[in-house]
Amino acid sequence: MNAGNKASEGGTRNDYLWNGSGEPDPEIQRLEMLLRRYQRSGSTPVFPQVAQNRRWAFWPRMGMFPRLAAVAAAVVVVATVAVIVRGRKTIPAVLTGWNVTRVAGAPRVGARAMGANEGIGQLVEGQTLETDEGSQAHLTALETGEIEVDAGTRLRMERTETGFRRLVLDRGTIHAWIWAAPGKFVVDTPSALAVDLGCAYTLRVDDSGAGLLRTSRGWVGFQSNGHESFIPAGAACATRLRIGPGTPYFENAPEALRAALARFDFADSTAEQRADDLSIVLAESRKTDALTLWHLLARADESERARVFDRLAALVPPPTGVTREGILHLDRAMLDRWWNKLGFDDIAVWRHWEREWAGK
Amino acid sequence: MRMSAGAGDRVDWFGASPGSRAVKERTPSDVRDDALLVESARAGDRAAFGLLYERYARLVHGILMARVPLGEVDDLAQDVFVMALRRLSSLRDGARFGGWLAAIARNRANDHHRHSVSEVEWSDELPASERESGAMSNPKGATSAGEAATILAAIRSLPDAYKETLILRLVEGMTGPEIAERTGLTPGSVRVNLHRGMQQLRDKLERTLAGSEGQRERSSS
Repeated sequence: MNAGNKASEGGTRNDYLWNGSGEPDPEIQRLEMLLRRYQRSGSTPVFPQVAQNRRWAFWPRMGMFPRLAAVAAAVVVVATVAVIVRGRKTIPAVLTGWNVTRVAGAPRVGARAMGANEGIGQLVEGQTLETDEGSQAHLTALETGEIEVDAGTRLRMERTETGFRRLVLDRGTIHAWIWAAPGKFVVDTPSALAVDLGCAYTLRVDDSGAGLLRTSRGWVGFQSNGHESFIPAGAACATRLRIGPGTPYFENAPEALRAALARFDFADSTAEQRADDLSIVLAESRKTDALTLWHLLARADESERARVFDRLAALVPPPTGVTREGILHLDRAMLDRWWNKLGFDDIAVWRHWEREWAGK
Repeated sequence: MRMSAGAGDRVDWFGASPGSRAVKERTPSDVRDDALLVESARAGDRAAFGLLYERYARLVHGILMARVPLGEVDDLAQDVFVMALRRLSSLRDGARFGGWLAAIARNRANDHHRHSVSEVEWSDELPASERESGAMSNPKGATSAGEAATILAAIRSLPDAYKETLILRLVEGMTGPEIAERTGLTPGSVRVNLHRGMQQLRDKLERTLAGSEGQRERSSS
């Protein structure tokens, strides 16, 4: 194998390494031929037999009693799972921390920089993961999910007063793909707390502590200063230090709506400017922007709220028992019932998380 | 990095920044198939899980081969699928099955190392027959079994991202696009891993070859 003669390798050789097409590369072909002996062999097991292959030698003899075998198979699968899970005493990664893999550069976990030949590190309670402008890292926790950490990010793991572990994103960007149960994965930021209620989102925090959350799958709750925002797939929500989360909006909403909403949420406007911005939001709203209008009910003051109610009711009529008066008084049960009619997700999941998080 | 309150800034801030990107999305048709198979498997259809096994067995095998002793790979691969079967109900997006399964495999490999009483060195885990006939002990550089063992050991000494991708490509016979599709990595990342991994493998094997030739020269003089 000569490295020198590879300097001139052309696109077709690259294609061969990439997908086996183009001019065959003799070096790659030789490697393939030599390494083929290690390839996975054996036929696909018929599930549930995969669970006992090599572990229960008596199994093949039961083929003559198919019905009995089917019942036994189910029992064996359950038993196998129990033996494997209990016997090996696998510790859920979330209990001990996140496994950290270097993707690029030299991410730091605590005082230790992860070099190119570094194995897998761990981010545990009290530790900080930092990536500089040339570094990226990948976090995994078997029971929880995966996180990609972009360059320029500072991420900590800490325990709350109520005993929950959570990540704190001081600055930078993470891409989270979570398969833990809803409400179990929480990321704090300087201006809001993000609670996973679905499965995939991107969260970014800038140096001022302001943030933006974009959900690509499932939904995410954003909370601070008594403000709650629910962000379903396709929507985003900004947050600001000392203000908390703004009003979520669909990213395909009209530009005029999004601009007016940003001013309504965060700009230091006069009452008249604020009323004008609200008018734009209401006028530009589509049916799917009921997401935004529902959140505005709690953010608008009393004089504005009736206008929001009317527009939302025109787009998605309130369910039976939800009254104008109740909504104008921000009756939570009525707000929740109306939310559930919007067709995003059941808000009971969030209420359950709130009780659990508060230790009630 | 500062954000203003303008909605346009929101979009530009997130969408146009070169370092930023949305969570990866996969769109090939078999992502839909995965989702359907996962749904069926969740409903108790073990044949559907069998199809998922068939589709992903090479991926799991390759991921484990990059990280654990060879003799443990088959057992651990079986464990990975049993764990996946047990946890299938917690996977809320069936289209993400590949990346989710890959994560379980990587974690199972890590867990294996954490619980191993003594970790076996890569070079010692090769079957004795292969070590004895390896390039180092053969004046010509090689029976194919010994050469294969040497090459595999060299691959497994590379950084994780490279060794995993190279094993999936060279041992398991997956193509780059297939690796990207199955693992959820972007095709660009896989392509980079393949080419940089190959370069590092060449360098490593050249050093190995140079070292063994020097050793032979010293012993013959």
